[in-house]
Amino acid sequence: MPTIPLHPRPLVAPSPTENPLPQLLHTPSGLAILELQGTFHFPPSSDPTGSTHLGKLVFPLYNPALNDPSDTKWMKRVYLYVGKGQRMTGECKKLSKPLGIVRKRKNVDGMEGVEGIEEEGKEEELEIVEIVRWKIVFSSRPEPVGGGEEAE
Amino acid sequence: MATQQDDGGVPFSMAHEMHQFRLLELPPDIVELLDAPNPSPLSIKSQAASNAPDAKPAYAVLCAPGKAFQLRQVQTSNSLFITQPTLDAHSNVIPIPVTRAVALCTATLELHLSDASAATLLRDVLPLYDIVGGDVDATQNRTGKADIFEHVPLSEEQCEAGWNEVVAFEHEESSYQPSANALSQVWRSINAAALAEGIKLDSQFLTGDITRAVAEECHPSGLVESVLRHLSTKEADCTGPWCCLDRSQTVAFAGRVLLETKQGSDYLIAEFTDTWEDNLPDAWRKDVQLSAVEGVYDFPTMTTIRVKSKGYASTDTSSEATAATKPSARKWHEKFGKTRKK
Repeated sequence: MPTIPLHPRPLVAPSPTENPLPQLLHTPSGLAILELQGTFHFPPSSDPTGSTHLGKLVFPLYNPALNDPSDTKWMKRVYLYVGKGQRMTGECKKLSKPLGIVRKRKNVDGMEGVEGIEEEGKEEELEIVEIVRWKIVFSSRPEPVGGGEEAE
Repeated sequence: MATQQDDGGVPFSMAHEMHQFRLLELPPDIVELLDAPNPSPLSIKSQAASNAPDAKPAYAVLCAPGKAFQLRQVQTSNSLFITQPTLDAHSNVIPIPVTRAVALCTATLELHLSDASAATLLRDVLPLYDIVGGDVDATQNRTGKADIFEHVPLSEEQCEAGWNEVVAFEHEESSYQPSANALSQVWRSINAAALAEGIKLDSQFLTGDITRAVAEECHPSGLVESVLRHLSTKEADCTGPWCCLDRSQTVAFAGRVLLETKQGSDYLIAEFTDTWEDNLPDAWRKDVQLSAVEGVYDFPTMTTIRVKSKGYASTDTSSEATAATKPSARKWHEKFGKTRKK
């Protein structure tokens, strides 16, 4: 009957890079949460390490140079442009309860246990990578817009 | 700060290989705990549902110091993407910061404070150590305390408190809960040993002095130590060599176990209080008042007393509080089990 340790801090924190999101959504690791009705469909790719460019996030009212940091009006509007001419409207919301992002703890050398050669008999350990307090929510369906992102 | 706002938004991409992340909804006290500079470790205890018809439902609990939370998986109607900033040279020669979805969660884990009583759960699993007519009647379970705790869906501290509440003990690689008979006899042995050794039980004494003297009576030393720990004052740390009993708690204990040895049959009040007094150090005899065992007895007639049918009623107010809220926890547990089996 297993008791699995849940470490309050990650062994290896994801190294933060320059975060293009508004400051409010920043976390030490850079992880953020984006909630969406439905999901994204895009052609399958043979490159497992790569990524597919889907569109862009726009915060039309966000202007840290002009707005006071306490001004939260910008949170009320976020656009997500997807593919050719689709746009979703959403907002930034504070989570009623913060969400802990939990993952399996990686090996001590920082490598993720590779499928198949998973360390035998070693107990699984979990860790909380990050605590997220805000999310970007897109709860409405996408609407068509002209001259959108020329993705893919 | 160079955001991508100026040139029309933050590029958004999706990683081809998704990470396996889970989202855990954090109640305020867990957030507080995690925000502390050196947070205490947490753990998840889990047990798969067995296929046996009378099997207990599956459970998974998150254990934090002194408390435990039931884990409940809740499907979300929306997709929750976890995003990470990354440098991407996808459509550009110079890498630019983008936001990339690296994981997709369709469920979150909710935490619900468990109000199960460790003492009740331990009473369900521990075999009884009884003494009938001078003979020990006990079935070995070949399971140590640590293994027992593994199967109790509560935190280590709660298990430990429950263990102390039922005066459980380890003996020859098994663990037991003592019957009222066993407790009453061990207590009488402790009292006799204290008298013989000239030890005042409500001031500091060496635990070893008592256990050595009681050992002649062939009681398991684990049981004697458990009884001493159960009766010790809150300040006394009985894990060390010293011990000091809480006088009023001990008087109540001696009275309660004496009543319980009668197993619900009537006891003449006068006879009960006389025996109770005889089971205490001389200096404590005047403490014998029925009010000391308030709540655990009935008067079936004018002259007799008996323990309430509830049996193992605890005089400990904190445990009574948890016992009172127990049924709802049970119900929830059953519901959870049913949904899991579907």
